[in-house]
This record gives sequence, structure tokens and C-alpha cells, in this order.
Amino acid sequence: MIGYAIQRIGVAFMIILLATTTLFIMIQFVPGDPANVMLGPRATPELKEALRERLHLNDSVFVQVYYFFVGVLQGDLGVDLTSNRPVVSILAEQVPYTAMLVLSILLVTLLGIPIGTYAAMHRGGAFDQISGVVAVSLIAVPPIVIGLYLILLFSVQLKWLPAIGAGEGFGGTLKHLILPTLAIGLTWIGYVSRLVRASVIEVLMQNHVKTARAFGIPENRVIRRYVLRVALPATITILGVSIGFILSSAVIVEILFARPGIGKLAYDAVISRNYPVVMGTVLASTVFIVFATTVSDLLNVLLDPRSRDANS
Amino acid sequence: MTKTKHLVDIRDLCIDFGPVRAVKNANMSIGHGQIMGLVGESGSGKSTLANAIIGLLPHAADITSGTLEFDGQDLRSFAPGQRQDIRGREISYVSQDPMSALNPSLRIGQQMVDIQHWSTESNADKLQRALHALEQVKMPSPQARLDMYPHELSGGQKQRVCIAMAIMARPKLLIADEATTALDATLEVQIVKLLKELQSDIGCAMLFVTHHLTVVEALCDDVTVMYHGDIREMGPVRDVFSNPSDEYTSSLLSCDPARIHEKCKRLPVMSDLSLKTPADPEMDKMRIDKSGGPILSIEGLDVTFTKPRGLVDLVQGRKAERIEAVKDASLDIAPGETVALVGESGSGKSTIARAVFRLVSAESGSVLFEDADLLHATPGQMRAARNRMSMMMQDPIGSLSPRTTVGAAVVEPHIISGNSSGMDLQDEAKRLLELVGLPTDFAGRYPHELSGGQARRVGVARALALNPKLVIADEPTAGLDVSIQGEVFNLLASLRETLQLSILIITHNLHVVRHLADRTVIMYHGRIVESGDTEDIINAPVHDYTKLLLSANLQARF
Repeated sequence: MIGYAIQRIGVAFMIILLATTTLFIMIQFVPGDPANVMLGPRATPELKEALRERLHLNDSVFVQVYYFFVGVLQGDLGVDLTSNRPVVSILAEQVPYTAMLVLSILLVTLLGIPIGTYAAMHRGGAFDQISGVVAVSLIAVPPIVIGLYLILLFSVQLKWLPAIGAGEGFGGTLKHLILPTLAIGLTWIGYVSRLVRASVIEVLMQNHVKTARAFGIPENRVIRRYVLRVALPATITILGVSIGFILSSAVIVEILFARPGIGKLAYDAVISRNYPVVMGTVLASTVFIVFATTVSDLLNVLLDPRSRDANS
Repeated sequence: MTKTKHLVDIRDLCIDFGPVRAVKNANMSIGHGQIMGLVGESGSGKSTLANAIIGLLPHAADITSGTLEFDGQDLRSFAPGQRQDIRGREISYVSQDPMSALNPSLRIGQQMVDIQHWSTESNADKLQRALHALEQVKMPSPQARLDMYPHELSGGQKQRVCIAMAIMARPKLLIADEATTALDATLEVQIVKLLKELQSDIGCAMLFVTHHLTVVEALCDDVTVMYHGDIREMGPVRDVFSNPSDEYTSSLLSCDPARIHEKCKRLPVMSDLSLKTPADPEMDKMRIDKSGGPILSIEGLDVTFTKPRGLVDLVQGRKAERIEAVKDASLDIAPGETVALVGESGSGKSTIARAVFRLVSAESGSVLFEDADLLHATPGQMRAARNRMSMMMQDPIGSLSPRTTVGAAVVEPHIISGNSSGMDLQDEAKRLLELVGLPTDFAGRYPHELSGGQARRVGVARALALNPKLVIADEPTAGLDVSIQGEVFNLLASLRETLQLSILIITHNLHVVRHLADRTVIMYHGRIVESGDTEDIINAPVHDYTKLLLSANLQARF
């Protein structure tokens, strides 16, 4: 198991390396010169040249990648071209706001799993049918549309919740979080409840559930220990993947709700060719996604003794 | 509570699945401490009846009339909670497939503690009782098993765990639903012996649901025969088996290959008992062409599987673990000859077949088919060889695509071989279906509309599409009722006469082997331990394993 964990973490680092390098290379093909952005249109050619030299922009892509990773190891992600502040400290400010949004995964877990399980247990019943229709509708509507309607309903019409900003203090922050997390999370509650329903139905038909019932084990215990425990690994994989998608929805939702966060940061940075910030946000989100999938993989192996043995 | 004469008393019980009546006016009683065998073909309603007793009928099923009494209590009037109290304590259950009967993600000990939910003892005491139960079922190193997960146990060990769970509460009734069907013959004997011992220790009654008549004869006091939801006959095993009063029972008994002593060319089937014809040794000899060389010759075949290595193993320079699946196997098949390859699961018999088709690669040795060396054949030569030999897969329904009609499936080999241009595929599908005795309108059916026997026939038709000279049949009769076994048997037997087929049949059903195979090869742990004329092997086995296998299979020496 420990061997497998080391192996998975090794792979995780390689994915981060590969993803960042790929983006670094791709960014070179985007038209526009960072030196222009930083120094403005009236800068002299000498000034621009000096800046290019300082940022290694004249070297080959691979040399730039090398300098980038050397910087990463030293905790240096370069300097924001517009504000001249270290990218690391900008990220440190912005990441918490996005991390809060990703907490909508909690919402997804706490609602999606029970809804899916209950629907599977009462397959074909009213709850199953209604939750099925609602889930598919939620999957079909993109987060931005859900977000807009949430604002229209809860902020404009009912005036219950704030439409924009991140809020201050604990209560304020929480209030400002509700609509954005719902906008991101509802789609995934739909997905997860459907997937949980399918895997619970599959497990319910397995022979060992019949054995457990034949021995009179109380039904709620059967569901907990003999159904969910077996169905859970598939769900955890989905949750791991969903974190990546939630992070990408964060870009849209942060713009829509005018919240700070790395989604908004990345968007602004791309528009203004602010390469160091683009690279910083990409690195942060890649690390985050790879971390989430690695954790879900390891949890899976931990939960399923069969794959634990196969991988030890 | 009044003590009644019978432990289980079923009167005029009807169980419906929607408009279909699965059990019709069933009457059955099981006395205290009595072993009742419940026999019938698949779909006869025997499992439905057993499930009704334990209260595990599927939602679609309804008990519409009749009474169902257990130990003097009317089970039909019980609230769900009351049933819960009986289950696992007074009635326990051993399920059909030991492989899937245990929760894969809980330790054996945890599961055995879970089912003692009726007890208020501490977990340590419950574990102690579990340990004792494992000792009772003669589980090797029982203490260690408690900490293991199901996948770490063999099939026989899992079934022992299931039985240990069933006896732990010392129930009054133990229901075993096809509890030995999925096991190899040698294991089946052990489990049946064990059940019989435990039953007399505990003194519980037992309902043993099976379609295996030999097991009933060895284990049960009484037997109930079911057919199409009707109980046709009930009585002491000795009386029913020696002198059946019902026509269905007597047909069932006369169709069981285990009960036909002389070697047969055709076996009787339920629809036509007169089909039974004794084998003609002269004809058999003429069928086999020993003048030339063998059609298939396997020499010193070794197949080794290597476990894949992880990154850590690679870094540490650890060698990949090797498993010898087949070791130094040699066998010949003459044109027209039928050879049986017999051994328990995991003995490597299917691996030999897969190596012939190069579905697995062989380490060393040679495979000559019509004098072509298959192990070193080019892809083109291999394709040509595959057109002249074919494989009948083990799982007949699973090996057909659920979205392909029967007609399209049987002509598929023509399309794959590239010889289908200019051929009327519809006519060809009709020809093949007629060849295997299926109505031609079956061409439009999908696999889920077929019964097990019909799917098996489609498998045969597909195997014969390209007029092969050699057919390798992997467990052609596994999972089939005796009468359908007979039909498939007769089909193979008649085809080999008309088409001059050579057949390699892979099986552990020695009863079929006895009637069908000219020669028999016994495999054990990847090695061929004995081979020779089928009759010689059955009458005078040499190797210990062969003797064990024969005693498990042919005579019911439980």
C-alpha cells in the first residue's frame, strides 16, 4: 500500500510537470509581447530589451521552462507584470476565495449521495422519478445560467442574498458563498446522485446483499455496510474528477458574481498577457486537481481490499 | 407456541410474478431434523418456493393464496420486523454462488459478527462464536481467516464460511439454494459431507435446492420434485428414485447421464426418451481416422503467466512473479476423434485451448494443426488456421453480443474471415440454424430472448459456420439441466458423425465425458497426469487425482 502511494504521488508530480510545461510552450504561440504590456507603448526598445533579458524571454522555451521550475522550487513564481508584486503573494490572497468555492464539493457529497441512495432503494417510486428529472435538468443547464437565475431570484426579487462580492467577516463570507456554491454545485449534485443511484442499484442486486438480508441484518445496516461501502469507491472517483470541473466552473462563477479568486485572476491575466500570473494560476489549479484525484485514488484503494492487494 | 408435527408446512401456496404463476398450489412439509431435497429444472419455481420460506421474494412476486407455516407460526401474517427476528436465527440460508455471497469490503470476522445482531454479547464473544463455527466447518487455520477478506479465500473456503455463518445460531431450518452447484466435483463431495455431519450435530432440518440428482440421493431423506411451478411428487428419496409415480420424475431420472450405465451414442431427452441409443464401438472406430497423422498435435506445451510489476518493483529491480499455468502438456487428436480434457477449475485446461488459438502466448513447446506450426505462424497463416478450427465459448449468452441478432451472430465468422462476398448471408444463417436444430425464424431473435439450451445451440452454429475440422468446446454442458445437457450432447454426437469433426471438449462433467469422449486426458495443477481410452480411465484409473475425481463424480460415495 505504501509502495502504491509513493508510486501514485510520483505520477502526480509528473502530471504537474507535464501540464505546466505544455502550457508554458503553448503560451509562446499567443500573439502579443509581455514587454509591451509591462512597459506600455511608449517604452524605448532598449528598456524592452533589458526587460526581456531579465525575464529570460530571449532564451529558448526550454530554458524558460527550466528557470520557471527553478523558481517554483525556491517559492518564486515571478512578478506580476502590471502591479510588480510577486505572483506568490497574489496567489496567496486569491486562492482562499476559490478554495471556499470548491467547498461546494461538500454540498455535492452531502446531498448527492443520500439522494442517489434513497432513489435507488425506492427505484421507480415518486422520489426516484422526480429526482431523476430534476437531476438531468440540472446537468443540462450550465452553471452560468443557474447562477444568473439564482441572482435574479434570491438577490433581485427576494433580496435575501447578496449578488456580488465576497463579503467580510464570517457571516458575510458565508452569505456571499451560498449563491456561487449553489451555481457550481447543483449540476454536480445531479451528476453524483445519478451515479450513486446506478452503482447502488448494481450493488443491491449482488448476492452478498441477499445473504446479509437472509441473516436478518437490519435494513439500514445492510444499506450502510453491505451496499454503500461497496458502492462508494466509484462515487469517490467521480467526486475526485468533479473537483477539476468545479474549479473550471469557478472561472465563470467568479466573474459572474464579481468575486475575487484564481478564476478571475487567470481570466484577467490571460486578457492582459500577464504570463507570470497565468503560469501561477495554472500551476495552482493543476496542483489542486492532481491532489484531488490522487487523494480519491488512494482512498479507493484503501476502501476496496481487492484493489489494495492488487496494488501492494 | 404449539409444537406441530412438521417444522415447515406449506399448503396450497400460490406465488405470482404479475400475471405469471410461478408456484401453483404447492404442498410441502419438512419434519424437524429432516433433510428435504427440492429438485427441478431452472425456472421450475424451486428457488421461488425456498425464497418464500425465508421471506426474500423479489418485489415483483406476490403470495396470492395458501398457508406458509414455520414451527407452528403463520409466516404470511408476520410483520416485516417479526420475519427479521426469525431470519438468521431460526431459518438460515446458504446461497448459490459462494464467490459473490460475501461482502467484498468487510473482513470475514466482521461479517460473522454482523449477522449475530440478535445477540447482546460483546464483540469479543461474538468473534469467539464465529471462530468456533469456523472450526466446526473444518476451516484450515480459522483464527487467521477472521482477519481476511473474501477475495483472499478459495471458492471452497468461501462456501465453508457461508455454511459456518448459517449454523452459528443453531437454526431450526437451513436452506441451501444450489449450494454446491458452482463447486468442482471434488469440492462438492467435501461440502455435501460437511453439511450432512453438521446437520446431524445440530439436528436442524434442511431444505436442499438443487438440480443435481446424485447429490439428493446422497444427502437427503425426502425429495420434492417441481416442474413448471407444480409439485409433481414428494416422498422418501429411496422410493421416489427407485419407483417414481410421476411421469415427469421418471423422465428426469432416466435422462440423467449419471444414471445411464451403458455408454450411449444418443442420450434420452425429456421430450423424447426413445432417443437413447447404445454406442456402437465398431462405428466409433470407423469414425476415427488413424491412417494419417493427428489433426492437432500438442507437444511439451508450457504456458507461464507473469504478474505485472509496479513502478516500485521496477525501481527495486524485483523480478516479475511467474505462475506456471500449463507445464509440459502433450496431446494428440486424430481426425474424427473426440478427446475430453478434464480437470478442476484452475488446472490449466482452458489455458491449453487458449494457447492453441494463440489467445495466450506459450513459453515453449509446439502446437501443430494440420501440420502447420501455430506457435510460429504468421498472422496470415494463423487466420487460415482459425478458419479451420473454432471455439465454443463457455458462457453461451455472455459470448453473444446483446445487440446482435442470432442470424447476424452465426454468420459473423464468414464476415470476419473475409469470405462473405457473393454469399447469401440470410440463406447461410438459415442453413446453420437448421444444422443445429433451431427454427429458422430464430435468426431475428436477440440473445436475451434465448434459453440456456438455445443459446448453446447458437454457439454451436457459430462454431460450425466455416466448416471447421476441429471444434474446441469449453464446458459445453455447464449450467444446463440434465435434459438440455442431453440435447447438446446429442447435437455434438450427430454433428461429429455427419461432418467428420474432431472435438476437444473441456469439462469437469465426467458423466458426459463417459458417453461422448473416445479418449480422456486428466489435468491437475497445470500438468497432464493421465490420458488414455475413456473406458480404461474410468474402469482402471492410475493416478491418485483421477481416482479422487472419479469417486467424486461417478459414484455417489458421500
